[in-house]
Amino acid sequence: MNRLNVLLIESDPDNTLLENSLKDHGHKLLKTLHNFDFLRLIKEITPDVIIFNLYTPSKKLLEDLQTLSYQSALPVIMFVSDGNFDTINQAIKAGVSAFIVDGLEPNRIASIINVAIARFKYQQSLKNALEEACAKLEDRKQIDRAKAILIKSKNFTEDEAYHTLRRLAMDRNITLGEMAKNVITMSELFK
Amino acid sequence: MKTFIKVTEIWIPDKHRTGLEFGSGLYGELIDFKADSEQQKFSYNEGLPGKAWAAGHPIVLTKFEHSYFKRTAAAKDAGLTCAIAIPIFSGDFLMAVVVFLCGDDEEHAGAIEVWCNNPVSENRLNVMDGYYGTLQHFEAISRQISLSKCQGLAGLAWESGMPVLIDDISKGEAMVRAHDAQQAGISMGISIPVSGNTKQPYFMTFLSAKATPIAKRIQIWIPDKQRNQLICQQGYSKNSNDLAKIFETVSVNKGVGALGRVWLTGMPVITGDHDPVYNPELESLSSMLAIPVIENGRLKAIVSFLF
Repeated sequence: MNRLNVLLIESDPDNTLLENSLKDHGHKLLKTLHNFDFLRLIKEITPDVIIFNLYTPSKKLLEDLQTLSYQSALPVIMFVSDGNFDTINQAIKAGVSAFIVDGLEPNRIASIINVAIARFKYQQSLKNALEEACAKLEDRKQIDRAKAILIKSKNFTEDEAYHTLRRLAMDRNITLGEMAKNVITMSELFK
Repeated sequence: MKTFIKVTEIWIPDKHRTGLEFGSGLYGELIDFKADSEQQKFSYNEGLPGKAWAAGHPIVLTKFEHSYFKRTAAAKDAGLTCAIAIPIFSGDFLMAVVVFLCGDDEEHAGAIEVWCNNPVSENRLNVMDGYYGTLQHFEAISRQISLSKCQGLAGLAWESGMPVLIDDISKGEAMVRAHDAQQAGISMGISIPVSGNTKQPYFMTFLSAKATPIAKRIQIWIPDKQRNQLICQQGYSKNSNDLAKIFETVSVNKGVGALGRVWLTGMPVITGDHDPVYNPELESLSSMLAIPVIENGRLKAIVSFLF
């Protein structure tokens, strides 16, 4: 395994089991408690992975992880004692890649990190593909709307409207979707 | 592309028609100035909009401090140094007051003038008031000359009673100041007749440099001969805009759409807004101000400024 930059957050600062295991695997480590400065700290140290060792994640922590998943998602591993179904659901929704209940065993750390990183990458690729598909669908809707505006205002056929839209987009060196938005905005001005 | 005008507002009579209240406005990134303006109300003869109403003609205010301008601190914070108020009358009755605010910096070259009859000679027009920014030499020349009908932009507008747009002032034969305008970097201009509540004619003249046009695009719409529809007589922007041209070939029915409403009501209108990603450098148009040109209670034209 590569040497990772790990942010370790534990509720019990005296517990060194996880800390020692990570050091034994050669990872670079910063250990701290979760506090109000959590997001700023992540921005500053840019860890490769965040590992939590807690009884249960607080509401504030889950909110911070949710924010993190929107801003700059990272692999997050959570060792907890609370196996409540709601807690698990909330953690997964907040972007936690691995949620381990009562399973902190030093000899499993390496594989848990590997699985969490692989899962995170896979989830990110799915998320990106979904966003791309949504953007394409939105573009398609905008293009159809722009064509309808041109058909109505200029009595164009659908083909003429599409070719006009394409020519305008090429002239401005922008995408068809962007040009469609311009046509819609322009028509809104005269509405 | 930076536009010469930074803020555009419409002030409308309140329900008692004794004061003016905020109608709508385009403020770009000047959010604080917008918030301050939306709260304002002006009585007759109060503040710049109220003064323009009482005077019955356009007013140019080039200094806010120690003046009747009511938003001096907010304007200063927003970098605004000059304001122009244009009252829109239909006969004796005020329809609205349009206010433009400009910033006085080196990057913004252009001029806004109010021309009216010379008190000595009724056949001549003189600059009554004007804002020239950094163009001091051009201002000195402009304030010295007088124009007859058919001379200069204002003279052409006086002769025709219609808005006149000239996209290349250096080539305009009737342009008395063509050479000086060219030297000042001014390339285009538009003159708009303003129907005050007096018999004296007034003309607003907007002159702009290529780098800082008045608006991204300007259009002049006129009713057709049967007065059934509005047609676009002229459209101008620094760079060719094929999308705008498409919409300019569409006729507008009275009461239909923003321009149709201006015709129906005689009220100026603002549509759209500078959205959060508004980029003045792009050719895309996201907002519009449309001003009616009214004479004897009838619409003669609509001038639309697109930003």
